[in-house]
Amino acid sequence: MRTQNATAYRFLTPYLLIFAIFWIWPIVSSFMISFQATRTVPWRFAPAFNWGRLIGDPAFYNALTNTLLILVIQVPVMIALAIIMAVLLNSPLLKARGLYRFAFFAPVVVGEVAYSAVFRLMFSLDFGIVNKLLNSVGIPKIDWFSNVTPAMALIMIAVTWRWAGYNAIIILAGLQSIPEDVYEAATLDRVSRVKQFFHITLPLLKPVIVFCAVLSIIGTMQLFTEPFLITERGGPGGGTETLGLLLYRQGFRSLNFGYASAVAYTMAGLAIAITLVQLWLMREPK
Amino acid sequence: MAAVTLTNVVKRFGVFEVVHGANIDIADGEFVVFVGPSGCGKSTLLRMIAGLEDISGGDIAIGGKVINDVEPADRGIAMVFQSYALYPHMTVGQNLSFGLRMNGNPKADTERRVRKAAEILRIDELMQRRPKQLSGGQRQRVAIGRAIVREPQVFLFDEPLSNLDAELRVQMRVEISRLHKELGVTMIYVTHDQTEAMTLADRIVVLKAGNVEQIGAPLDLYDDPANRFVAGFIGSPKMNFLSAKIVDTSNSAATIELAHHGGVRLRKPLAEAFPAVGAEVVLGVRPEHFFEAGEGDCDIPVKADVAEHLGSVSYVYANAGPEELIVEREASRQRASGDHFKVSIKAERALLFDKAGARIR
Ligand SMILES: Nc1ncnc2c1ncn2[C@@H]1O[C@H](COP(=O)(O)OP(=O)(O)O)[C@@H](O)[C@H]1O
Ligand SMILES: [Mg+2]
Repeated sequence: MRTQNATAYRFLTPYLLIFAIFWIWPIVSSFMISFQATRTVPWRFAPAFNWGRLIGDPAFYNALTNTLLILVIQVPVMIALAIIMAVLLNSPLLKARGLYRFAFFAPVVVGEVAYSAVFRLMFSLDFGIVNKLLNSVGIPKIDWFSNVTPAMALIMIAVTWRWAGYNAIIILAGLQSIPEDVYEAATLDRVSRVKQFFHITLPLLKPVIVFCAVLSIIGTMQLFTEPFLITERGGPGGGTETLGLLLYRQGFRSLNFGYASAVAYTMAGLAIAITLVQLWLMREPK
Repeated sequence: MAAVTLTNVVKRFGVFEVVHGANIDIADGEFVVFVGPSGCGKSTLLRMIAGLEDISGGDIAIGGKVINDVEPADRGIAMVFQSYALYPHMTVGQNLSFGLRMNGNPKADTERRVRKAAEILRIDELMQRRPKQLSGGQRQRVAIGRAIVREPQVFLFDEPLSNLDAELRVQMRVEISRLHKELGVTMIYVTHDQTEAMTLADRIVVLKAGNVEQIGAPLDLYDDPANRFVAGFIGSPKMNFLSAKIVDTSNSAATIELAHHGGVRLRKPLAEAFPAVGAEVVLGVRPEHFFEAGEGDCDIPVKADVAEHLGSVSYVYANAGPEELIVEREASRQRASGDHFKVSIKAERALLFDKAGARIR
């Protein structure tokens, strides 16, 4: 048994080495870096330097507020949308199911730059189709990129477009694992379709929904692509700057690795904390 | 008052017709078992009665009222599913009361009904548990309890015992029988297991490939099957079928010659139609109707292949020419593989079938 294990580990060594060098070490190292002043040469240990600055930095609070705002609005809306899409996908009345499934999944595999460019076009002030449509129903056109509220909305719409289908596919798998005869029993019990959805489907989907919510929260905490590419680096004027963007700006524009590391650890810590709260709230009654 | 009547009931899935005009009359309070091999349409029939499948043709009436277009919940039925179909996220108590709660039934009445069902099925102690924490037998009880709570006029069971182990199956069988006596309501029970059918039913409906082959009391089907299929399906171990030929018909009897047993002949009195001389027929003999040599009307030599000793009886699988026969012997511990012996057939204990499988009486 011993020797078998040893042999197994020897086979695993190449992977473990790579894992240690490219995963473990950066994680540990960035943790150390967050306690160092990195604008001086050589770097010196100064625990309060980055963390102290973080606590008093308005840019940090701006990014934090934006990130949490997106999280609080976008994640629930997207999950609700994903559930509706999954239920529709699961309907026996639906034709060409495979096509829809592909269509729902497609946004995830579209290149980020291409998708951002298309969104910028669609939402452009004078030529965008969105403003044209709004105009046609009598709503004045919106300047999506110059005002904070529309810009935030745009980010949320874009993120939702990209990930709702992905979550719908996961929830669909959950839906299909609920046995049909449970619904038949409920039908015989004179429970309407709507009540079946709220009293049977939703409770039984809970584990899957929690899974999707956790994935989405982690993803949104790191949100970067959309505010970077669509609203041009968190514009207007930092109005859509997220923690991910702040990290990027500090780390790779200002080369302030210590501060960027502190931001990174804050993001990770928050994601873990929110996820734990979420899991605790949704725990199985014993 | 809840007799169930099926009149020319047809079921089609697309172009496939799976039930071909079933006519079944079930009296109020009767326990009727639909039995037949897998895929013969038993569940489909039951689900049509429940309203879970549309009726493609014919009428189904419950309590004298045609319910073809009545909502499942308004038919006065309750169904117990093969897989139990319990609500996994609810406790036993919630499972039992769910339907009533969803329909605004008065709380006191709901509680009374749940308590009564729990009492009948002795599941009072499980009320706080979830289905995951129950054994198969307990889940089955809860599923039956959920049906009882509805206080239906007709209970429908779809192979309710097939997921249980053999011992529990016997125990639950007895309980379902007891339940029928206690509640006195109509029960329709689907199974592929002829033992369950024989032990539970007031009357059995034998189905084959979407056709009703015969309807009758268990022992009537056993003694007087309408055709070779029913004869082979009812009774365990199965009836033996021996190829034979009519060699003479006279004096209201037919003389037949067995094909594979050295020209042995048997004279079988007949009441109805007489087959033509020379016609090929099949002689059906149940394992328990082989007698000791000389006791019957003709003897055939056999060679024991395998003997199964069950204690009270033994089943000897014997080769007789190209035909394998199952012979029941009372605790014949002496029979072992390779033994040569003779068995005897009594004409009155043998059934005659024509080549198509129809009974010749
Ligand atoms: N939803 C369905 N669509 C098409 N064919 C079906 C469907 N349900 C059952 N069948 C067919 O109808 C026949 C009878 O099925 P079923 O009533 O389930 O048989 P049983 O319960 O006797 O085993 C089978 O041949 C089965 O393949
Ligand atoms: Mg079935």
